[in-house]
Amino acid sequence: MVDASSLMPSGDGMAIRAVGLTKFYGTTAAPVYALHGVSLEVRRGERVALLGKSGSGKSTLLNLLGGLDRPTTGDLRVAGQDLSRLSGRELAHFRSASVGMIFQSFNLIPSRSALENVELPMVFAGQPPSQRRAHARRALEAVGLGPRLHHRPAQLSGGESQRVAIARALVNHPDILLADEPTGNLDSVTAGEVIALIRDHVRNYQTTLILVTHDEELAGACTDRVLRLKDGELLL
Amino acid sequence: MRVTDILGLPLAALWQQKSRTLMTTLGVVFGSFVLAASLSIGQGIQDTIERESRRGDFLRKIAVSPRWRVAASDLSPEELQVSGEMTDAKRERIRQAIIHHKERFGSSKQHVALTQEKLRELASLEHVENVVPVVWKSGYAIYDQQSQYTAMGSARPEDAACRQRLLAGRFFDSPQESTAVVSELLLYRWGLTDDASVQKVLGKKLRVELRSQWQKSGFILLLNKPNGQETTLEETAAVERVKGQLPTSLEKFDLTPIQLEVLRKNLPTEPPSTAADSLVAEEFTIVGVVREPTDDERSQRHDMLWVETDVILPFQTALNFSFRLPGEGEQGVNQAVVIVDREQHVKEVLQRVKDSGLEGYAFLEFIDQQRLMYLLIFAGMTCVATVALLVAALGIANTMLMSVLERTREIGIMKAVGASNAQLLFIFLVEGAVIGLVGGGLGLLLAWASSYPGDAWVRSMVTRDLKIELKEALFVFPFWLTLTVLLFAVLVTTLAALYPARRAASVDPVAALRHE
Repeated sequence: MVDASSLMPSGDGMAIRAVGLTKFYGTTAAPVYALHGVSLEVRRGERVALLGKSGSGKSTLLNLLGGLDRPTTGDLRVAGQDLSRLSGRELAHFRSASVGMIFQSFNLIPSRSALENVELPMVFAGQPPSQRRAHARRALEAVGLGPRLHHRPAQLSGGESQRVAIARALVNHPDILLADEPTGNLDSVTAGEVIALIRDHVRNYQTTLILVTHDEELAGACTDRVLRLKDGELLL
Repeated sequence: MRVTDILGLPLAALWQQKSRTLMTTLGVVFGSFVLAASLSIGQGIQDTIERESRRGDFLRKIAVSPRWRVAASDLSPEELQVSGEMTDAKRERIRQAIIHHKERFGSSKQHVALTQEKLRELASLEHVENVVPVVWKSGYAIYDQQSQYTAMGSARPEDAACRQRLLAGRFFDSPQESTAVVSELLLYRWGLTDDASVQKVLGKKLRVELRSQWQKSGFILLLNKPNGQETTLEETAAVERVKGQLPTSLEKFDLTPIQLEVLRKNLPTEPPSTAADSLVAEEFTIVGVVREPTDDERSQRHDMLWVETDVILPFQTALNFSFRLPGEGEQGVNQAVVIVDREQHVKEVLQRVKDSGLEGYAFLEFIDQQRLMYLLIFAGMTCVATVALLVAALGIANTMLMSVLERTREIGIMKAVGASNAQLLFIFLVEGAVIGLVGGGLGLLLAWASSYPGDAWVRSMVTRDLKIELKEALFVFPFWLTLTVLLFAVLVTTLAALYPARRAASVDPVAALRHE
């Protein structure tokens, strides 16, 4: 566990700085802790793997880092922004502009084509249609889905769907990429392709990567550092 | 978020659920259709009433007549005395019934008569433009030794309905000129059957004889001819002579002394009037000939100054002439029409007329009652339509709540990629508004399309039952109506979408992304 007092104040070079993050569910009288006093720092461009068993708090931490949830207590700065102080609107903008999220279950909107799914973050950011369409097309071509632009998720394989999700996460060139077991639903060959895509992008664009996985080998192969979570606490 | 996306995302979501959207929209279509149709015909009928009633000037007219009521003060204490053992309530009921009986069976008297003086008093009221006495008398019209029993009526010189029926000559220039306009039927009855004779009568003299039936007491004698034939001038003169001689000839009848006594008791004490006493005659120059009114023109009979007599005199001339009959001056005319300068002053003048002890009736009151009646009917219809729309709105709320539930994961994804609560709220509100706009628009279109057969049907009923040919449509769609229906539909459906939209906006993205 990182000693909170040893953390530097908000400074250059840090993509993520969390101090004493706690997240519990239920009531204050009978809390169920998902995270307990987690502190960590991640440098810009660093690739970090979060390892832990199911229920260890990996996804909860990722949701906090992605601005999908707020910590019960603790300070959290991501991409230079104090998330605990952001309003709902600012947090939405943060999710749209600063982070990209990849999920195990892809989380694509079934009624929309690959192109439209990738366009979505730019829709809420208010980008002009022609511009965002071009960006989405390029992002999909970059993940090898140029010929599948107008296919719906149901018409795509698992690997293709995850590539669409990666394109959507990267289309705005976020500072931080948060990947929650991105290969969990894929076969080993496809998983290798997906990881290669993520690794290449992160390397090319110096994007900070937080990769949540069960896979020790994967964690070691494509990240700079491995952090382990157990029962909501970060192991040193 | 751009405007195209604000519309595009909700439209895409609605398109995704075509059947559900269609069914929901149909509810709004039905509600809007009923609302538009009821507002349309409501406004159309109000407009028609206004338009039809503003033809001519009869909305500015007040019909005034003497009051014939009997008050308790008109009866003697003996007449009002109710004897016997009874409750106070019954005593009061009997007392009122006695007054009512007197009113119905002969003892009533005019409190205020429409005499010359009273007519002048009415004319001096503020906002009164003119007072036209309505004179209608039956008598004999004599031309070139030919006499016909007919009716004489009075008219204003500016009477447009009479003027448009002129066949030859002119109408009156002033209300007191000594002229007459006669009908072509009267000419025919005089034996002037050729077309050329119409011109020949112009400038000739017409003698009109009126006989008074008014008397304080005495006999009333009428000659009832077989087959309902009219009494000739000679026969009437003969009957008058008999009537004049009757009081002095009672002994010649087979009567008991008691019968003789009771008859004499009720006969006037002054010498019996002669036929000449009860007759007035005057000569007028015929200046015009009018045709019979057409059926369409007869539909204007509700005008208080409608004249359809064979002899028409200028109203002041007719009044002066009729007032020469014994008792007529004191009794006054049975009706006069007060013409008010502006419609908005009618009620004020009407109140003053009533305050002066006369009976008054303004057509405007009838129109107001009609307006109120139709207003209530169409307000009721509008309420039903509103309820229909509200029911449709409940359907929308329910459908959209289901939609929010089904799209929970989609909402979570949108939030994860940067959608704010406000944007999601807006997307769902726009979905509701789009249903309202499309449903409202289609409802309006349906109402407009149905108005054509509906208008034809109502029009045929009006023509058949009321004999009125309506020239304008009964269903109207003014701009305000279109706008109101659309806005109301959009407002109702948007409000219906508010709760589901708030639910959507408040979805927890973490939970939503786990939602299956």
